[in-house]
Amino acid sequence: MLNLGLSVFSRNKDRDRKAVFRIPSRIEHLRKTSSRILDALVRYNVPETTLFNIRLCVEEAVRNAIVHGNHCDKHLSVTIAHWAEGRKFFIEVADEGRGFDYRRLPDPTDSEHILRNSGRGVYLIRKLMDKVDFNEAGNRIRMMKHL
Amino acid sequence: MGVKTEVKNGLTVCHVEGEIDINTAPEIKKAFDRLIGKKEPKIIVNFTRVTYVDSSGLATLVEILKNMRAYGGRMRLTNLSPKIKGLFEITKLEKLFEIMADENDAISDFA
Repeated sequence: MLNLGLSVFSRNKDRDRKAVFRIPSRIEHLRKTSSRILDALVRYNVPETTLFNIRLCVEEAVRNAIVHGNHCDKHLSVTIAHWAEGRKFFIEVADEGRGFDYRRLPDPTDSEHILRNSGRGVYLIRKLMDKVDFNEAGNRIRMMKHL
Repeated sequence: MGVKTEVKNGLTVCHVEGEIDINTAPEIKKAFDRLIGKKEPKIIVNFTRVTYVDSSGLATLVEILKNMRAYGGRMRLTNLSPKIKGLFEITKLEKLFEIMADENDAISDFA
């Protein structure tokens, strides 16, 4: 199941076109996913640093969805949506897992965690994006960046 | 991604090229494991040609640093782009790593 080439578009008065696509739970789709989203940003003339940060956050969110959400189960997919509202750019990443308690993530900058080999992904997303929300279950993240 | 190693003034300098991310982290780890296996006391990592680092890349660098510290080794990172240096600042890893602007300064000062 590979739906990278197929998008579902919708439009309303307040939004630019919304694109939705699904990818299999495989790490090799990370780069393709971020490239696809960066391609959608070309027309917005976005600063390079913003593009770098959006790429990083998309790949961190999708990686978390694949690895922690879907446990790399190739039968489960990750759904990605992106759209713009004026100069606000939104990205949603949802997996088919049970979610996690996003309120109780340890701070990776604490001295007791700083040497850990993991746990920086969501922290980076929260720092680099302008707004980050999870659904109640914790299996869908919505990120917003001002362009 | 590639890692080229040279010796300058008796110090090992690693030039990493490309992206340090979830895809390339194992290769990076393997390249440094060879140096760590020899208990290389001081390593300078030049980031001039590093274009992207993600959280897996940061974690790999932390692991390499921990492995070096275990035998008293030291590692310096140089020539980071502002975007990548920003990631070290945000994650407070700048406190953990010795980060210097320029490779030559890192060499001359690495007594």
